[in-house]
Amino acid sequence: MYTLEKAKEPTRKAFGIRLKEYGAIDSDFVVFEADIGASTSSILFGNEFPKRYFNMGIAELGMTDAAAGMAAGGRTVFVSSYGIFLSTRALEAIRTCICYPNLNVKFMGSHGGLTAAIDGVTHQATEDIANICTLPNMKMAVPCDTNSARKLFDLAIHTAGPFYVRLLRDAYYEIYDEGTEFSLGGSHVLREGKDITIGTYGDMVFQALAAAKRLAEQGIEAEVIDFYSIKPFDYARLVASIQKTGKLFVIENHQRRNGLGYEIADYLITNRYYILYKHIGLADTFAESGRYQEILGKYHLDGSAIEEEVKKMIDTCR
Amino acid sequence: MEEKEKEKLSDIAKHVREIILTMIYEAQSGHPGGSLSVADIMTVLYFKQLQIDPKNPKWNERDRFVLSKGHACPAWYSCLQLRGFFDEKHIHTFRRMDSILQGHPDMNKTPGVDMTTGSLGMGAAAAVGMALEAKLEGSPRRVYTVVGDGELNEGVIWEVMQSSVKFKLDNFCMIVDRNGLQLDGPTNAVMPIHDLTQIIEGFGWYVQEIDGHSIQEIDKACSNAKQKKGIPSCIIANTVKGKGVSCMENQLKWHGRAPSTEEYNQAVREIRNGGCRCIH
Repeated sequence: MYTLEKAKEPTRKAFGIRLKEYGAIDSDFVVFEADIGASTSSILFGNEFPKRYFNMGIAELGMTDAAAGMAAGGRTVFVSSYGIFLSTRALEAIRTCICYPNLNVKFMGSHGGLTAAIDGVTHQATEDIANICTLPNMKMAVPCDTNSARKLFDLAIHTAGPFYVRLLRDAYYEIYDEGTEFSLGGSHVLREGKDITIGTYGDMVFQALAAAKRLAEQGIEAEVIDFYSIKPFDYARLVASIQKTGKLFVIENHQRRNGLGYEIADYLITNRYYILYKHIGLADTFAESGRYQEILGKYHLDGSAIEEEVKKMIDTCR
Repeated sequence: MEEKEKEKLSDIAKHVREIILTMIYEAQSGHPGGSLSVADIMTVLYFKQLQIDPKNPKWNERDRFVLSKGHACPAWYSCLQLRGFFDEKHIHTFRRMDSILQGHPDMNKTPGVDMTTGSLGMGAAAAVGMALEAKLEGSPRRVYTVVGDGELNEGVIWEVMQSSVKFKLDNFCMIVDRNGLQLDGPTNAVMPIHDLTQIIEGFGWYVQEIDGHSIQEIDKACSNAKQKKGIPSCIIANTVKGKGVSCMENQLKWHGRAPSTEEYNQAVREIRNGGCRCIH
């Protein structure tokens, strides 16, 4: 079981702190960024290790290509920017120059999903899961709090080949203690339940937990799973849970189309798990500027939306 | 350069041209025009300038080479084969399934290929990362890239122009194969550049303009670039697309077209009659 405390810092900062700490442990890896180091927190590393830190200017494509060249001889390279720029503007470099030759480049994609709500659509990475996970050789993980960000940094640097970590703009809650382990293809059950499985990742973990709490008050016990490893994915955990609950609800802060929910639906149908299934995300629309929680509410992605949708699913079974 | 060495390199360049044509003819696919225009540049690099070891293609202190205009890879593969990076039999598998010689260069399949390229602009930008790494390691190794003049249309090239100066990459040499033609037409019509030398100098580079088919000028320009400290080097090599085969020279249609049997035989005859002695 978990405890929720207000987070002191967003995952982008927690990851940046671990990046800096690890710089002293491993003297080989380098960091590339595109003039937003103070925002993404990569500057924490840069201040400590200026010779291993390359500000390539506001030029994400050239930065990503240069990272590929630096990694071509086997060196580990971190690339830091906002997720939207990495997953769209630099996408071809990630595909052709990094994933295709399978180079050791790790991406720190900040402002994942609508966590950049206040900045508007131009800064919201709402197609990153689709674009990045589609690439062969790529792995992807999404931490939701400080300790998961730190542990997923360690996982990324110890995993060969390209690895993308989706980071969040704002601080939400702390949920994991320091001792919690995170593995490639792993997941964590945050709340056990027998009536329905809620699968999610990143900041949506907190919306799901809030919904689960209200559902419990109404006699519905939801099992909430943090699928922090998007690719590879913990299908074993998913199957174990749905075999118990018989119902699956997937919520993600991403376009619904080609998000994790599409991948899961494909798996379920292919493997003949014909269960009650519902998936919500951005419904083929762009969002807008606004306060994070208000935007989640307007686009039907907050705890209330989860509660409403889950109750509808439960009702269809009665 | 002594006359004897110049003759030797000229002969090798002819052999490189013949292999280029053989690969494209046998595959019935590929880009002869731009491969032939870089043949002399690639010959000087691979048989004179580059510090490399074919027996140890991953030797860390080797000079790096990135063919950013990846579609000209028949020229790259020819040089690598003649330098002994792989057996001659692979030449006949170009662009075929299971070949180590992909349609565009693949660093994990071809010994001696330092970077996967083919999407224009990206190779030059990756070469910046290689030059940064050499600096980081305090290594004297150099990084060369060859870009096409059409490739200069790509925005990322101008990111390279800036970052190479910022990081004082005097170990970096970019050679522009200025053959004046790109797929849809003359480079001056597709996307004109007023004064290339002045523009690149304006970014802060050391720029030399040469005849890209003069073995001596190519060699001298590369050597001059090595001497320049504190700034990156650009060699603007004026070339002829399709150079060496009269029916292909300056002909747009030979950008990406394979020769027929008759055209191939005639082209090879022409190259051989040019006096090449190293063809067996």
